[in-house]
Amino acid sequence: MRIATDIGGTFTDLVWQDEKSGAVGNTKVPTTPHDFGAAVVSAIRQSRQDARGTGFLVHGTTLVINALTERKGVRTGLITTRGFRDVLEIGRANRPDIYNMTYVKPTPFVPRRLRLEVTGRLNFRGEVLLPLCHEDVARAAGTLLAEGVEAVAVCFLHSYVNPQHELECGQILADLAPDLPVTLSHQVTREWREFERSNTAVLNSYVMPIVARYLNSLERDLNDMGIPSPSLHVMQSNGGSASFGAGRQLPVNLVESGPVAGVIGAARIGGIIGEPNVISLDVGGTTAKCSLVLDGAPRITSDYKIEHDRRSAGYPILVPTVDIVEIGAGGGSIAHLDESGALRVGPQSAGADPGPACQGVGDQPTLTDANLVAGRINPDYFLGGRIPLSVARAQQALQPLAAHFGLGIAETALGIIRIADSNMINALKLVSVRRGHDPRDFVLLPFGGGGALHGATLMRELQTRKVVIPQQPGVFSAWGMLMSDLRRDDIRTRITRVTEDAAPDLDETFADMSRRVHEALQREDVAAADIRSERHADMRYLGQEHTVKVPLAEGCIDAAAVDGLLERFHQAHEQTYTFRLDSPVELVNYHVTAFGLVPAPEIGRVCGDGLTLADAGKGRREVYFDDPVPLQADIFERDRLPVGEALAGPAVIEEPTATILVFPQQRAWRDRNGLIHIQGEDQS
Amino acid sequence: MSRDPFTLEIIGDMLRASAVEMFITYGRSAQSPIIYEVLDMGCGLISAEGELIAEAEGVPGFVGCLGFAVREVLGKFGADALQPGDIYASNDPWGGGGTHLSDVVLVMPLFHEGCLLAFAANKAHWTEVGGMAPGSWTTDSTEIYQEGLQLPALRLYRAGQPQQDLLDIIEANVRLPEMTLGDMYAGIAALHAGARGVAAVCARYGADALLDSIALLLKRGESVARERLSALPDGSWHAEAWLDDDGIGDEPQYVCVRVTIDGERFVADYSGCAPQASGPINTTHVGLMVVVREMFKCVLDPHFPNNDGFFRPIEIICPPGTLFTAQRPAPTSTYWETGSYAAELIWRAMYPVAPDRLSVGHHLSICGTIVSGEDESGTPWVLVEPQAGGWGATHRRDGQSGLVPSGDGETYIMPVEICETRYPLLVDQFAFNTEPGGGGRWRGGFGLIRDYQVTCSHADLTASFGRFRFPPWGAAGGADGSNNAIEIIPAGQGKAVMRTGRCARQRLQRGDVARLITAVGGGYGDPLQREPPRVAEDVREGFLSPEIARQAYGVVLDNAGVDEVATASLRADMSRERDHGA
Repeated sequence: MRIATDIGGTFTDLVWQDEKSGAVGNTKVPTTPHDFGAAVVSAIRQSRQDARGTGFLVHGTTLVINALTERKGVRTGLITTRGFRDVLEIGRANRPDIYNMTYVKPTPFVPRRLRLEVTGRLNFRGEVLLPLCHEDVARAAGTLLAEGVEAVAVCFLHSYVNPQHELECGQILADLAPDLPVTLSHQVTREWREFERSNTAVLNSYVMPIVARYLNSLERDLNDMGIPSPSLHVMQSNGGSASFGAGRQLPVNLVESGPVAGVIGAARIGGIIGEPNVISLDVGGTTAKCSLVLDGAPRITSDYKIEHDRRSAGYPILVPTVDIVEIGAGGGSIAHLDESGALRVGPQSAGADPGPACQGVGDQPTLTDANLVAGRINPDYFLGGRIPLSVARAQQALQPLAAHFGLGIAETALGIIRIADSNMINALKLVSVRRGHDPRDFVLLPFGGGGALHGATLMRELQTRKVVIPQQPGVFSAWGMLMSDLRRDDIRTRITRVTEDAAPDLDETFADMSRRVHEALQREDVAAADIRSERHADMRYLGQEHTVKVPLAEGCIDAAAVDGLLERFHQAHEQTYTFRLDSPVELVNYHVTAFGLVPAPEIGRVCGDGLTLADAGKGRREVYFDDPVPLQADIFERDRLPVGEALAGPAVIEEPTATILVFPQQRAWRDRNGLIHIQGEDQS
Repeated sequence: MSRDPFTLEIIGDMLRASAVEMFITYGRSAQSPIIYEVLDMGCGLISAEGELIAEAEGVPGFVGCLGFAVREVLGKFGADALQPGDIYASNDPWGGGGTHLSDVVLVMPLFHEGCLLAFAANKAHWTEVGGMAPGSWTTDSTEIYQEGLQLPALRLYRAGQPQQDLLDIIEANVRLPEMTLGDMYAGIAALHAGARGVAAVCARYGADALLDSIALLLKRGESVARERLSALPDGSWHAEAWLDDDGIGDEPQYVCVRVTIDGERFVADYSGCAPQASGPINTTHVGLMVVVREMFKCVLDPHFPNNDGFFRPIEIICPPGTLFTAQRPAPTSTYWETGSYAAELIWRAMYPVAPDRLSVGHHLSICGTIVSGEDESGTPWVLVEPQAGGWGATHRRDGQSGLVPSGDGETYIMPVEICETRYPLLVDQFAFNTEPGGGGRWRGGFGLIRDYQVTCSHADLTASFGRFRFPPWGAAGGADGSNNAIEIIPAGQGKAVMRTGRCARQRLQRGDVARLITAVGGGYGDPLQREPPRVAEDVREGFLSPEIARQAYGVVLDNAGVDEVATASLRADMSRERDHGA
C-alpha cells in the first residue's frame, strides 16, 4: 500500500494505491486545524483500506508555513559573529514599496537581546583569522537559557566555506544543553549571503520543537494503525520526500510541502504521455500557482521568500524550493472596481467562508459566480450536485458591475473571466517566457478546483501545444505526492574559475558532495541500487552575480567534460538573456541532488470499450465562450467518454469536482490513462 | 474609445508585466554589482510621444527620467529618422539622464508594420564611465568633463547593427571596459524583453488597441491625480532647509520651496534657492522635475500604477542657475545631495497635510561610497554602493532602522560575505548606530555603522554623506536625529583621526578602517509622552542606556522594569522645568 495525504486549508485529501491490485482511491475529510494529524488518521480510516504494513506513506503539511506566518513557533535565540548581531534585523534594507514613505520592515524572528555575539572570525577563504572563543559561546548559551529560549540558531560569517566554528559552537551547546534544539546554518544551507543564511537557520530553529511534537505524535498514531516508522515520509519544498527524522531536523525544508506536490504530479503525467515540458497550473479557491517542468524535472530555486510581495520585503529561506509563482486568482477571487474605476479580480477572496455569492451566503461577485452566469458551470452538478448553486444570486452579485460599465450581465461575467485569465496568463508567462522558454514547446496541465475551466483559454492565449487534464483534478496534489521519490539536495557556494585546469577540482568537489548525499539517503534505508543522482553547476560570466543553472552529466570530470559544460553554459545564458560573452566563466554553486527511487505505481487505466460519444452526452445548454452571444454547447460526462474519440467544441465535459471547457475550433478526447487532451483544430 | 473596457485593462496589465520582465532581465545579467546586487536601476515602457506608460518599480528617480530620455531622442533625431532595431544611449544630465553620467539610459523605439508605437527604456548605474576618478563619480569635480564620458543621445545600434566606432570609444575611455560593455549588453537584453512584450500585445490585440490602451492609461492617470489632489485642502505651504555646503567649500547653502495647491494644480516654487555650486552636488532641471514627481506621487497615491498622465497637474517654478537648475558645464556627480533636498522640501512642506503618507526626517543622503584600488596582481577593483540609514518616526509608529533612503527604493545593500569575497576588504562590524538622537513619543529609527578594513597595501575612499551637519528633522516636539558621517581610523589606533561628510580618493593603508555611519531618524511627539514600557523595551534591547532613558524620556528603571512612581515624578519635574525654561 502507498498512501499520500495532503493537508489543505479546507480539506485533507488522501490518495491511496494498492500496489498489488493497482487499485487507486481517494478520500476527502475536513481539515482539523487544532490537530492536523487527526484528519490524517480519520482519512485513512475512511478510506476503508487495510493500512497495516503500508510500505510508503508521504505526508504534505502546512504546519511549517502556518507556524511561520501565524508566529506560532518557539522563543528562539541566535548566536553569531561579533559585530554582526544586527544583520538579522537590518536585512537587505530594501524598500519594495518604493513610493510609500511610511514603509514598515519585516520584524525579525529573534529580537535583539536574544541575538548574541561571540568572538571568532573566518575570512572569505574560510581561513581562521580569530579562533572561536569558547567562553563566549558558553556565556551566550547561559544567557539564552536564562532568557528561556527553546531553540537556538548559529550563523557565523563564511561558515558556508568552512563550518569549523559552527561545529565547535554546536558541540559546546550540546554539552551544556543536550536537549536544546540547535540549527547550525551550514547544515541548512551552504550558500553565501549572511542575512539570508541567518534567517534560514533562525526560521528552522523557530519551528523545530513544533514540528518534532507534531511528527512524533503522528508517528505514534500511524504506528498504532500498523504503519511502521521507516515507511513514514514528509514532502519537502524541493519536490522530494524525506523521512520524518529528516523533517524534524530541517523543518524549514517543509515550507512549501503542499503546493509542490502538484508540480511533481505534472512532471509524472508528462512522463506518462511523453511530454517532458509541462506548465502546471493549480487553480484553487484563493490563488493560482504556476510552475514549470523542463525536461521532466521541476525547476528548483533557492531564491525563495515567505511573506514577500510588492509591498513587503518578506523573509528569505535559502533552501531548494520548487519555483512556483502564486497569484491571487482563484474561484473565490472577488471582482471589484479599483480606485480609478477599472475592473479587478482578486487578490481578495471570498474563500470558503462566505464563499461565492451563488453558494448562498456571500454577496460579493466572484470568479465562480461569473463562470456560473456565463453558463460554464452547471448549477446542479457542483461537487456532483451536493451543493446547489443559485444563478439568480450570482447575477444579482454581478449587477452593480454591469450597471457601472453599462453592459449586459453576460458581458460583465465574460469581462471578469477575461481579467482573471489575464492575471493567470501573466503569471504563466513569468514562469515560462520570462525565463527564456517558448510556451509552444510545452503542454499546459491545469488542476485544482478551477484549473480545467480556464485551461482551454489559457492554452489559446499562450499557444501551448495542448492542454492535458488529469483524472480527479481536485485531488491531484495528493496524487502527485504519491508519485514522489526521496530527495536530498546539497548546494555549496564555492567560486571556481571554469577552465580545463579546474577539472580535477570540480571532480573532487562534486564527488565529495555526491558521496555525502548518497550516504544521507542510505541512512534513510534506501538501497544503493535505488539511488540516482544529478549534478548541476550554477554558472556566470566573470563579473556577473546571478547565475544560470547548467546540468552536468555523471562521471569523472576531465578537460573534455569542462569544455562541454562551458558550451552548455553559453547556450543556456543566451537562451535566458539573449546574449553570450567572451568573458571568463565562473562556477558559483555546486549542486548535487540524490533521489531515492521509490517504485512508482502505475497510473490507473480506463476502459472505454464499447462507449461512444452519445453515451457520454448529457444534452446541450447555452454557454458563453468568447462573445456575449451564447452558443449551444454539447455537455458530456467525463467518465462515460470513449477512449480516443475526439469531440468538437463548443462543449463542456463535466465531472463531480471539475468542469472542462472546450472552445469552438477546439477538440478534446480521453486517452487510455483517463486524461483529457484538448487541442486547437489547427494543432497537432 | 471603440474597444471594450476589459481589453484595454488587460493590455495595461501586459505592459506592466513586460516592464517587470525588463527589470529582472537587467538585474540578472548585468556585470556591475551596483546593478545586480544593489538593483540601482529602473525600467519602463514609454509612449511614442515620450510619456511613461508602465514601469517596474526599482529606483523611483530612474523611472521618472525615462520619458525625458525618449523626448531627448525624439527631439534630436525626429520620429521619422528612427528605425526598428535602433538603440540610443543617453546619460546627459540636462537631457534624458537627469542625474549624473554614471546613470545611463538606453532607449529602443518599437515598431509595428513600420509604424512607431512606443519605446522600451531603462536606466542603470554603470560602475565605470571614465572620468577623473575610479567609479566615475567623485566629490571634487568642478566641471562635467571630469566626470566621465558624455553620451548625449547617441545611436549605439542602427537598425540592429552595433556602431562599432562608438563601442570602441566607450571601451577606450572607461577603466573596466568589460564591466561597462557587459552592463550595456544586459541593458539591451532588457530592452528586447520589453520589445517582446509590446509585440505580444500587437499580435494578440492589434496595434490600434495598444494605442487606445496607452491613451486610456495616461488619461486615467491624470484623472486619478486630479481627483486625489482635490481631496487635499487648497493652500500654500513653505519649507526651507540648509545643505551642509556647496560640495567644495564649507559654507552652508540655503534652499526653500513654496507648494501651492489650488483646485487641480500642484505648484512647486523653488525661487530663492542658492545658486549652482562649484562642487558636484548640482541637480539639473530634468532632475528636479523627476524628484518633484516622486514626492507628488508619495503624497497623493503611492500605489497607483505609475504613468506620466498622473503628473500632468504639476507645475515647477525655479529660475535657471540654482542648485536645482544648474547650467552646463556644472558638475553633477553627487546630484543626490541636492536632488534629495528638493524632494525633502516638498515632503516637509506637505507633512502637515499628509501625515499618514509621510514620516519625519530621515538620513536622506544616498551616502554614496566608492572604495577602489588594485589587487595584488595589479587588476583594478571598484566597490560602489549606497548606504542605508535611520528613518523618521510617524505620528503612530517608531521610525524604521536601516532602510535605504527615499531616493533609493527596491535597492539592496551588499552582503558582507560577497563584499569580502570580491574586494580586499574586511568588514569589522555591520551594526545599528544607536547614538542619541531622534527621541520622541515615537522615536526615530537607527542608522547603521559599517567598518571597512583595508587588507591590501592601500585603497582609496570617495564618499558623499550629506546631512553631516544638519540632522534629520523631528516634529511635534520630537527631537532631531543624528548625522551621517565618515570616520577614518588608522591601523593600530583605536580612534578616528578624521570625521567628515565628504572625501575624495582619501588614501587608506593596509589595516586602516573607514567607518561609515548613517544617521538616526527624527522623532515625533514629546519624548515625555512615550509610553514607559516602550522605553524599558528599548533599554532591554540595548538600543538605549538607562541614563538616556532617564535624561531624554524621564523614565526611571529598576530591576523589575519601569519604576512608575519615580517616573511620574521625574516627568512632572522635567515638564515643569521645560515650561519654566520656555
